[in-house]
Amino acid sequence: MQLSQIRQLIKKFALVILFLIAFVLMMVNKTDTILIDKTSSMATGILSPVVDVLIVPARLVAHVYDYFKDMSLAYEENKFLKKENRKLRLIGEQARALEIENRLLSRILNFTKPPVDKLTTARIVAEEGDAFSHSLIAYIGKNNIVEKGQIVLNEDGVVGRIDKIGNSYAKILLLTDINSRIPVVLEKNRTRGMVAGDNTLNPKLVFLPLSSEVNIGDRLVTSGVAGVFPPGLPVGFVSKIDKREIRIQPYADLNSLEYVKIVSFENVDELNRDVSLDVE
Amino acid sequence: MDDDWSDFLALMFQRLLPLISTIFLLLLSYMPFFPLAFHPNVSVICVYYWLLNRSDVFNLFSVFTIGVINDFVSAVPLGVNIFELLFLYVLVSNFLKYFNGKPFEVMWCGFIPAAFLAMFAKWFILSVYYSQFLPFMMLLFSILITIAFYPLVCLINVFVQNKLMTDER
Repeated sequence: MQLSQIRQLIKKFALVILFLIAFVLMMVNKTDTILIDKTSSMATGILSPVVDVLIVPARLVAHVYDYFKDMSLAYEENKFLKKENRKLRLIGEQARALEIENRLLSRILNFTKPPVDKLTTARIVAEEGDAFSHSLIAYIGKNNIVEKGQIVLNEDGVVGRIDKIGNSYAKILLLTDINSRIPVVLEKNRTRGMVAGDNTLNPKLVFLPLSSEVNIGDRLVTSGVAGVFPPGLPVGFVSKIDKREIRIQPYADLNSLEYVKIVSFENVDELNRDVSLDVE
Repeated sequence: MDDDWSDFLALMFQRLLPLISTIFLLLLSYMPFFPLAFHPNVSVICVYYWLLNRSDVFNLFSVFTIGVINDFVSAVPLGVNIFELLFLYVLVSNFLKYFNGKPFEVMWCGFIPAAFLAMFAKWFILSVYYSQFLPFMMLLFSILITIAFYPLVCLINVFVQNKLMTDER
């Protein structure tokens, strides 16, 4: 047997072994999630800082562009904001009065409040969104509050949930990803359902009761049923209804995420203490 | 003696350049500055390019390494990107050798079936994994974006090959 033939044989043998490794990894991924979680979290912690450094020049260019763009719009925007501010002050006063009333009534009824949300702001470092998966990597710094499964928001609504946590970085599964399931309620009639991603930009609304009344434009908020997410966070609205499925449009614009907020639960007692202090 | 060592290290670095530049471009493709669906599959472009142009320094293990790194950054199950790139390796080294050394346009034409088959294989294996079909239109869109980005990524690879890699000379 010639040397080139032996080399060719080894090459083919190696190819088969590497294919087998790929399949074994997929199988392990399907069965042993703890091992995969640990390995993947460690790898996220190692690779994410590299991406973080790579995006610095691009981020700088983007900021300079945004600065000049904002400057050109500053006058018109200022006028609009002043007008909006007057309206918001009025609404703020009304909201304050309602909040005090709500707290007093809750106290009279001895209502146990849900846990308070504590927010951690995280900067997006990397994103992925194609036919295969929809995810983000965010810099969370060294903090112990962020945990797997916590919900992620931006200023408009729910973005997704924490999937893996590495050293200072977290992988976020977007609500459009095929693995994402978020329990929701229709705001108008409190009908429960589930927002299920399928790697398209408009996730499906599933597990609705057959008798439920759904219309285009109906708002969906988190139900808090599973106890993982706080209730009442805006998720999206119904954008398409046909015989086979209901699709929703997320409130959060997933195309332009720069910073996100990660929601973690706080101690209930702490909230009750705060409320009593405020009321007194 | 020192010169020998520095020459050896320089040569090794030169030979690792395709792998290093591919990792660099791969990580760069995850930058959050584009709309969500507009992320080309850079690893497929680079693997195709280097296997056709410098298969002596970009071998099976380079392909595997790129697959592993892609798996860790991406949210797809581990092993899926490795499978996709190994499938592309089999395609290029067995059926697309003809495109080696051909003009750019011909190589680009060869890339179209290569990208389609590799990404379709990934789509199929993921559909089996999740026991449901992933959106086919999104797959077609991802393939089109990847094909459209091919010249740009190639330009960077050509720069690395012609300007930075001097081992051939």
